[in-house]
Amino acid sequence: MKVLIVEDERTLAEEIETFLKKAFYICDLARTAKDGVEKIAINQYDFILLDLGLPDNDGLVLLKEGKKYNANAAFIILTARGNLEDRIKGLDLGADDYLPKPFSLLELQSRMQAISRRKFGINAQLISIGEFNVDLQQRMVFHNDFGIELSRKEFDLFSYLLLHKNRPLNRMQLSEHIWGNFADDDYDSNYIDATIKNIRKKLGTYGSVDWLETIRGVGYKIKCAS
Amino acid sequence: MCIVKLLSKLTLFITLSKLAIVVLFVTLLPSLVERIAFQYTNYYLQEQKKKVLKVVARNGVEFYLGGEQSYGSYTMLKEEYIALEPASATKKLDTIGTAKRIVEQDTLTYRILSYTFKYHNQNYLLEIGKTTATINQYNNALQRVALYVLISLVIVTLLIDLSFTRYLLRPLGLIIKSKLHNRKFPFNEHIPPIKTSTKDFKYLDTSLIQLMDQINDAFEKEREFTANASHELMTPISILQNKIENLMLDQGVTDDMQHRLIEMMKTLNRLKKIVHSLLLISRIENEQFAKADVIHPNVLINEVMEELEHRLAEKDLHFKSNISSNVTLINLNHDLLFQLFYNLINNSIRYNKPQGSISVDELYIPNELYIIMVKDTGFGIPDADLDLIFNRFKKSNRSESEGYGLGLSIVKSIAHYHNLTISVESKVNQGTTFSIHFPIDMVKLKG
Repeated sequence: MKVLIVEDERTLAEEIETFLKKAFYICDLARTAKDGVEKIAINQYDFILLDLGLPDNDGLVLLKEGKKYNANAAFIILTARGNLEDRIKGLDLGADDYLPKPFSLLELQSRMQAISRRKFGINAQLISIGEFNVDLQQRMVFHNDFGIELSRKEFDLFSYLLLHKNRPLNRMQLSEHIWGNFADDDYDSNYIDATIKNIRKKLGTYGSVDWLETIRGVGYKIKCAS
Repeated sequence: MCIVKLLSKLTLFITLSKLAIVVLFVTLLPSLVERIAFQYTNYYLQEQKKKVLKVVARNGVEFYLGGEQSYGSYTMLKEEYIALEPASATKKLDTIGTAKRIVEQDTLTYRILSYTFKYHNQNYLLEIGKTTATINQYNNALQRVALYVLISLVIVTLLIDLSFTRYLLRPLGLIIKSKLHNRKFPFNEHIPPIKTSTKDFKYLDTSLIQLMDQINDAFEKEREFTANASHELMTPISILQNKIENLMLDQGVTDDMQHRLIEMMKTLNRLKKIVHSLLLISRIENEQFAKADVIHPNVLINEVMEELEHRLAEKDLHFKSNISSNVTLINLNHDLLFQLFYNLINNSIRYNKPQGSISVDELYIPNELYIIMVKDTGFGIPDADLDLIFNRFKKSNRSESEGYGLGLSIVKSIAHYHNLTISVESKVNQGTTFSIHFPIDMVKLKG
């Protein structure tokens, strides 16, 4: 998957790049709207991550312009402006998602994955983990074709860990994924623990859940060989 | 002390002072008129005396006496009389006095001028009298006329005074009406200066305009600063967060380092929240939210609880919403109202005691009021702090290190933006109740 990061703040662009490279994305950087349009005109991208506050032009203009060359690319707006109008305007202009700064890189990847599923139909519907198969579309976990129902938040948490498999995720990151800006570390980490306990209990009756590891004092990780 | 409008005070003063003049005049009038009448009579008697003396000088005293010993004459109804008679040489008189005289069996009171003069070595006494009855006969009529004239003059001047005062004070009323009444902060709309030729009012008006402009400027600057600062802060926070995230994923990071990174991220999260809240407040104050949503309070509270329910378990709290589904609220912003109740209920969870309870109730009197109350059985707020809790970053004495933070400032901004009023009642160690009063024109009964 090829990603263009249009962001004038160099350090930020580099951090996004570092993160996405680890997830096997190929990244290009553009620091101005002009630079961005040129790169979009020449190359085909799957994802275009777009900062709205560019030095030479508004990112929304670039969005319109970019759609002409890369009609199939998924546009994700990243902005510190974060007002409702920009969001509506961006989505009206055909952006696929909108992440207000500051955002978590894990969240960015999760959104990109969701778009992949939705837009490109990529990523096998079924992900296997241990003795289980997970259907992200139906939001169901199967054990030998037997469906195990998880609550909405349990599945959210489970699929997030699954997406970022082999990465330790702390409670703060997990609660932020579920409650977004409403997350409150002091109050929500216990809930995360309880939810993980529930997931283990529900799945554990059917098979081993050793792959769902607790990392003491940090959080949780799904360990998976593949 | 009784507070009265300047115009009313002036009106009262003018009316009372005119009334006092009338009363004074009415009480003084009789004696005044009497005095004038007497003075006039004296003058009249003197004139008569002069006439007699003139005649005597020209024609001699015999003209009157005609050989008689004395002379007397009176008018037909005895209102006036004149008497001339010889007097002893030593007698010397020139007086005017009131005395009784018998004229043809009638005893009458006269104002009498007595005067002695010499003629051919003989001393004569001249008396000219006028009945006091005639002196006072015009008094009543005179008094009445004077009273009528006075009253009509007073009424005319009163009317002129009142309308002129009214005219003079009109600019003041306009200043109060346009500059002070119903002005809602911030003073966005510009109101033109009042037209007046009174220097004091002009000064008052321009001073008020200047003052409001200054307040507005200061407010505008603060707002702009908050917006810019929040925006500028987001980028570095973003960079820091992503750097820490990448570091945490690094293979070489030990457990100890991982813990430190988590602590760093927690601190950064705190900063992020503050900036988010400031930005939200400044956006509300900038009126960047549309107020066009229709809200069912019971649904809204359920939505809020969906986000908060899991926090109840921590302290084993009991939550109950007693909001009926009858009421619909209009012309509100859903996201902001959500935030308002989220913050209130979140606070009542945060500051509650183990096994405490939280309830959301409503009070609805059709066409009169609609109130939603969020009530908890928590620590409560000391009376001294009640006025401070809505202020930004106001630290309280409570043991929690974070104070009240920005949550209630946001509640206040949202309420103010929608013209809702909030009242708080709290008892330490018993609990707190926040009441949100909705303007009645926002409340519709579900048909």
